[in-house]
Amino acid sequence: MRFRTFRFALSLTVVVAFVLATGPLAAQQAPPSWKQGQPKDMESSSLSPIAQPPAPKAPGEIPVDKIKVPSGFKVELWAHGINNARAMTWGDRGTLFVSSRVAGNVYAVVDKGGAREVKTIAKGLNLPNGVAFKDGTLYIAEIHRITKMEGIEGKLDSPPEMKVVYDTLPKDAPHGWKYLAFGPDGKLYFNIGAPCNICVPPDTHANISRVNPDGTGFEYWAHGVRNSVGFDWHPVTKELYFTTHGRDWLGEDVPSDRFDVAAKKGLHFGYPYCHQGDILDPEFGRGRACGEFAAPLLKTGPHVAGNGVEFYTGSMFPSEYKNRAFLAQRGSWNRSQKIGFRVMMVTLRPADVPRYEVFAEGWLQGDQVWGRPVYTRQMKDGSLLIADDYAGAIYRVSYGR
Amino acid sequence: MVGVLLAAFSAVMSLSPALAADLDAGRRKAAACVACHGPDGNSTNPTVPSIAGQVGIYLHWQLLLYRDKRRVDPQMAPIAAALSEADMADLAAFFAAQRPAPPAAAPDPARADTGRRLAETYHCNDCHGRDFAGREYAPRLRGLSRDYLVAQMRGFKARTRGDLDGAMTQAAQPVADADIEPLADYIGAVK
Repeated sequence: MRFRTFRFALSLTVVVAFVLATGPLAAQQAPPSWKQGQPKDMESSSLSPIAQPPAPKAPGEIPVDKIKVPSGFKVELWAHGINNARAMTWGDRGTLFVSSRVAGNVYAVVDKGGAREVKTIAKGLNLPNGVAFKDGTLYIAEIHRITKMEGIEGKLDSPPEMKVVYDTLPKDAPHGWKYLAFGPDGKLYFNIGAPCNICVPPDTHANISRVNPDGTGFEYWAHGVRNSVGFDWHPVTKELYFTTHGRDWLGEDVPSDRFDVAAKKGLHFGYPYCHQGDILDPEFGRGRACGEFAAPLLKTGPHVAGNGVEFYTGSMFPSEYKNRAFLAQRGSWNRSQKIGFRVMMVTLRPADVPRYEVFAEGWLQGDQVWGRPVYTRQMKDGSLLIADDYAGAIYRVSYGR
Repeated sequence: MVGVLLAAFSAVMSLSPALAADLDAGRRKAAACVACHGPDGNSTNPTVPSIAGQVGIYLHWQLLLYRDKRRVDPQMAPIAAALSEADMADLAAFFAAQRPAPPAAAPDPARADTGRRLAETYHCNDCHGRDFAGREYAPRLRGLSRDYLVAQMRGFKARTRGDLDGAMTQAAQPVADADIEPLADYIGAVK
């Protein structure tokens, strides 16, 4: 105690001397969000987010043969040259709309029988990660607003104006980009992520929300969700399943990212107090218990960065694939041994833990990353598209034939 | 005839995105850039940034930001609008490979010390590196002119200087107006 008092007095003297010598300086500010929450003993860590390449890879630079899938499946390069290709949604007339994040673009991919033509239908947008389509209209989610393009499929070369659907949204950049999808109730669902790595977020953040497609009726659906940029509804139960990225800088193997079900409105999934259902946050978990919050359906692995969620409803794949969920994992940065960079599949089982296994992998070779699978989308024929935002490409996985 | 063939060839090539960057092509294409950015990208005009030795990914992204009007500048906008994706890749690779001129003379020690402490206060090194040489996702700042650095920081703070993902716009918000100039004096002159 005496020592601490002495040290305090000493540091006070230093501060006073310093202020006298130089004049007042601003108080220490928060670090950039990716670095925030880093413990002192990791200050010299070289780990940092993987930079997004400014251009897509040419077909010759995309080693599709490195992607491994189960026996009987086949992978091909379906489209390329789509800078930062992310979420995908189908138009009524067979146009594939593709979002991006930092590239600021939305693309339309038109299948020309054997070759794909890529058109940029919007650019200069604010991290437009979310795209959803209904009744001839494309909906686009940026950080700060949701807009729509009516009748877009007939006007791909002269896209209609973007009309604002909803823009009463936070403008924070960290975890501000959105996944966007129509629920079975006809409402638009999207995430509002925590504006930090780890913090007590404002009441308006760290959730999954929904709004009517005309912009009315905004409400929160799920709370305590650090950042979910992928969800889908079970084909039979119609319940919402979603992935969440766990916090950084807690260790190599914790916390695990999550795969959850939010079967009803208003559940709290633990952030920032409890991670992976059983680890209290060392700073924010004091006085809390993990039992207060919804437990994860599945721990998907530390830092794997689970993005896309899609239940398989097609008939091309073997029958056991029906109603399985595909989880696209973009891959880790906050871990010295990289993990993720793959598409997993989850088989839900009554009264048992889900089965969790690899469906496609190979974008990570040793320590080298050549691609990052980020979302999937089924085709009409039951094959599966996988978007890779690092290579700027879309792969097609088919079975048999 | 050769010209026609070349034109046809380049039209075909431009359909293929993200060709591996070509330094020689970059040098040829850079002829239009050096009028403002200086020979080999070392600028002597304080309002124009030096781009020699700048992070290549950063340079390429900036050209895209100018083209898509996410970063606004009346001189760069028409230049970027005329560039193909391959041009951007070649130019970024060429200037990234050039040797940056030594930084300007250091400010007086007391002012440099203030700048250094401010840089720690605002965590500038977290992204730009301990020596401000930049990292994959953040530009090199050492060697940039004070005027240019001041203008960028004011722009980020005012939310008028476009950036890729909002990170620098966010980082600039707490920076006090009075701190911008000492920061620029220090950072640009880091040896």
